[in-house]
Amino acid sequence: MKAVEVKGLIKRFGDFEALRGCSFNVDEGEVFGLIGPNGAGKTTTLRIIATLLRPTSGSVKVFGLDVERRADEVRRMISYLPEEAGAYGNLSGEEYLRFIASFYSDDVEEMVEEGRRISGLGERLRDRIKTYSRGMVRRLLLARTLMTSPRLAILDEPTSGLDVIYAYEVRRLIKEYAEERGITILLSSHNMLEVEYLCDRVALIDGGVIIEEGSPGELREHYGAENLEEAFMEATGRG
Amino acid sequence: MAKALLTLISKEVKELLRDPKILIGIIVMPLILFPAMGSAIGVSQRAVSRAVRRMAIAVYDEDEGSASQELIEFLSKDNDVFIIEAENLDEALRRFMEAESSILLYIPDGYSERMTSGERCMLRIYVHLRRLNMAETGKASSVEQLLTMYGEECSLRRIRRILEEAGEELQPEAVRRPISISYASILKGVVLDVPPGAIFGIIMSQNIMLPVMIMMMNVFAVQMAATSIALEKEQKTLETLMTLPIGRMTILAGKLFGSIIIAIAGAVSYMIGFSYYMRSTLGFIPQLTIETLKEAGLRLSPLGLTLLGVIIFLTLLLSLALSLSIAVFAEDVRGAQSLVGLIYIPIMIPSIILMFTDVDMLPAGLRWLMLIIPYTHTVIASKALFLGRYTPVLLAVACMLVFTTITLYITTRIFSTERIITARIRRWRLRYGG
Repeated sequence: MKAVEVKGLIKRFGDFEALRGCSFNVDEGEVFGLIGPNGAGKTTTLRIIATLLRPTSGSVKVFGLDVERRADEVRRMISYLPEEAGAYGNLSGEEYLRFIASFYSDDVEEMVEEGRRISGLGERLRDRIKTYSRGMVRRLLLARTLMTSPRLAILDEPTSGLDVIYAYEVRRLIKEYAEERGITILLSSHNMLEVEYLCDRVALIDGGVIIEEGSPGELREHYGAENLEEAFMEATGRG
Repeated sequence: MAKALLTLISKEVKELLRDPKILIGIIVMPLILFPAMGSAIGVSQRAVSRAVRRMAIAVYDEDEGSASQELIEFLSKDNDVFIIEAENLDEALRRFMEAESSILLYIPDGYSERMTSGERCMLRIYVHLRRLNMAETGKASSVEQLLTMYGEECSLRRIRRILEEAGEELQPEAVRRPISISYASILKGVVLDVPPGAIFGIIMSQNIMLPVMIMMMNVFAVQMAATSIALEKEQKTLETLMTLPIGRMTILAGKLFGSIIIAIAGAVSYMIGFSYYMRSTLGFIPQLTIETLKEAGLRLSPLGLTLLGVIIFLTLLLSLALSLSIAVFAEDVRGAQSLVGLIYIPIMIPSIILMFTDVDMLPAGLRWLMLIIPYTHTVIASKALFLGRYTPVLLAVACMLVFTTITLYITTRIFSTERIITARIRRWRLRYGG
């Protein structure tokens, strides 16, 4: 079964058409990357898959369930990390993990323990989140996204705004978790190196349409490029 | 559903209560500010009454006769009287203005002669308004009261003498005031030895206190709900919340009940502070009136109390739903607070207008305008409850039920569509963002 099936997805905001017939599939258990520049439609696509926005037309299915008609069931299978996500500043990190865990499991403590392990924040989890650095918040959010063992984790720019060390840590965590648990991960990024490091397959998106799809190796080979960045520039005619 | 709802409510309460602006501004501040204000006013009032109790009265006795001496002796019993020696009134006034006292009693020439011959005497009080404070006017009225008492005494003495001369065996008090009036009020079939003014005072206190309390509770509720949803946007937690495996209705209910809890805590804190303020300044509800209130059946019956609870609950739900529907369009807490300011107008207007009058007494146009404001029905119900008139209360409950259901439906629609994520007001224009 496909983890995600997107067919002819169109999304308009008033007169602006953010997605213009976007189609791609994500296989179960793979790490799939949506690559594209700012404004390409990555976040809109992920928000639709995460049940936050409704498609103007086209269809989106998560494990065979339509995201519009069966949104409640889809939400039980996914975990979404938005690009500019934050956490409740007046709660402690631990309270936040417990808050999220209580919606997914009866054994909250086991899930929170997993969250503690993924976040690596140790004793700092007892402090209020408003005292955390941006990197610490991102690690906490990644921990809450992954600790629930979702069938599909949707990560929008998971390392956005992080310095080299934190970005490296977050990437390592995602890779480790995907290999360890075999969950499906759909992520977006404009960092080609990150995508190359993390993803089994990628889709290049530009101007609201998917222009190419394949494994990083296939795309490099197809465009005779040294890396994904070059392949993207070639594919979009900017090279 | 119940577990998820409790988790959400607990998170809401923690988040809001741990916000120093809310904890201090809404819960702690009324408990400090009102008692502090009350104490300050109480201290100044006590200072005024101390100043009035024993006064320094300057007297310019132009008459210097036996009757004026008797008056000065009367005033000297409980006050510090000092005589101003002067050639004429102008000089006396100059000296008075240089002296410490703020009250000058001028006894004009011929006072004793007129008093002895039974003619009406004129006295003049000069008040030197040095500091323009309450004590100065208080002193003036105290001197006037003393002189009235003295005049009464003189009058009775004169009547007694005339009666003795005429050989009449009548009581001088009865001759002076042949009719004495005492009041009783009949309320809800009960005869009370209380003047109607006192009953009116009790009802007024209820008419003021209850609408004020409901108004404040609603204002707090609106603030809480707006802050709650705006914090989600400001902290960028709304998108995550909306993708959790919980129904949108549960999220909405969590926000509503979390805000209600803080709003009630705020209102209780406000009322504790406010009643302390009232007690320490005006002695607003003295024990006597509370006893009279019970005797008159002006307190709420268990049914009345239940209906009051229902109407307050519906009103709070309406305020919260309105607030959430509006605050959703703001991008941060400050923006949300400004937007929901619009709701304060319909909350406050009925409370203020109906504090002093009934809706039936308003001109037709204004009456209908008031009746389409949902909050009017809350005030109408709260007033009618104290008089045991349940029909208008039930009508008000029905109206509020309709208003609240419609508003909740709109809020639910907003929460169940993507509008909650995308719509925002910037410079009063709706924009959509992806």
